[in-house]
Amino acid sequence: MMAPSLAGPQSVVIGRSARMRAVFEFLRVIGTSESTVLITGESGTGKEITATLIHQGSRRSHRPFVAVSCALFSETLIESELFGHERGAFTGAIKDRPGRFEMADGGTLFLDDIDDVPLSMQVKLLRVLQNRTIERLGGTRTVPVNVRIIAGSKKDLQQMVAEGKFREDLFYRLNVLPLALPPLRERREDVPALMDHFIERYFRRRGDDVPPISDAVKQAFLRYRWPGNVRELENACERIAQMCTCGTVGIGCVAASVVLHGDGPLPALPAAPPAPVERPVLEAAVAPTSVVADAPISLDDRMREVEAGLIGWALRVSHGNKSRAAELLQIKRSTLGDRINRCGLGHAASPERDERRPPSLAST
Amino acid sequence: MVTTERVEAVLARVRPYMQLDGGDIELVEVEGNSAAVRLTGRCAGCPSAHMTLYLGVEAALREQMPEFEALKVR
Repeated sequence: MMAPSLAGPQSVVIGRSARMRAVFEFLRVIGTSESTVLITGESGTGKEITATLIHQGSRRSHRPFVAVSCALFSETLIESELFGHERGAFTGAIKDRPGRFEMADGGTLFLDDIDDVPLSMQVKLLRVLQNRTIERLGGTRTVPVNVRIIAGSKKDLQQMVAEGKFREDLFYRLNVLPLALPPLRERREDVPALMDHFIERYFRRRGDDVPPISDAVKQAFLRYRWPGNVRELENACERIAQMCTCGTVGIGCVAASVVLHGDGPLPALPAAPPAPVERPVLEAAVAPTSVVADAPISLDDRMREVEAGLIGWALRVSHGNKSRAAELLQIKRSTLGDRINRCGLGHAASPERDERRPPSLAST
Repeated sequence: MVTTERVEAVLARVRPYMQLDGGDIELVEVEGNSAAVRLTGRCAGCPSAHMTLYLGVEAALREQMPEFEALKVR
């Protein structure tokens, strides 16, 4: 179950960090269990996607997965939303409407933002979970429901129980298999892989090649705290795909909030790149440019030209320092002197040579 | 009070990134409650950099100095 999810569209749960490996291990262990799962994690940590994965790994995977956020509805509407209503149950209830529990029958119901359910509603929810039956609003029938519950919470429910904001009995009913999703800032080592993944996704969606990402952008992503977690990182990548037009993702394409609000020390500047080292150019020597293709070539003359070219290069790079030049050519200092004389290059030991001339034989 | 030092302190938060990308941001002048900056190097030719940093840095300047008025990019 987990292997395809790592590379597939569900890859919001991408991660090689120890924290995420623990999550994958949990998913593997619970396998086909039918027990209630309580997923706790900050906004944007991937609670719903994780719930989907749990559903897909269960024996109910061919039945509906219904997700509902309990934060989206007013207190009175939650009950109707979850349990449905009969026509005439309240003003505006013009026809029968099944609730989410009935819609998820045989499958999985993901009750997200369970921490936002008011206390009065918690009692009703507890009764449904215990009896496995619902009654529609305004209805008289008791309808049995076969639903596997996964609850999602932004807050620590145990803490809410201690504060009297969440019913203890409902908490124990939900907290059968607890799973905590780590905030992104506690698994920053996963940021680069997530960034690559989403950058690729959004550039491909735009129909463009995936450009390289500059070091500054990588640094900014690593330093930022991501209070909105993976969802925020995904949105930042989508924004980059919209902004970037220059072939490389640079810092200019990154939202200023990400750039300006990082943790830890600012990125160190890279050491100045070493000056490019001039290497001898020998193409002309190897591939003679004679216009007559089969004209004879004197090997001895050619070899002397090659030698003169290389010695000239070594002297220039060493600024006329013959000991250094000999080292560059991996010959003895005395041998170099002999060869300089033989090639008539004595003048080349002067550093004031025309630097524009390549040391190739074409120029000699 | 908008001062060169306070503006520079904000610019210092973005400068390392811009330098990593082969660019830079220079404070040209502080005039009243406004400041003018110049983008140089690779960032100078990047329209996204102008917009992002212009909007983002201006917001950050105002966060530090509520009286800050406008950031001009030259």
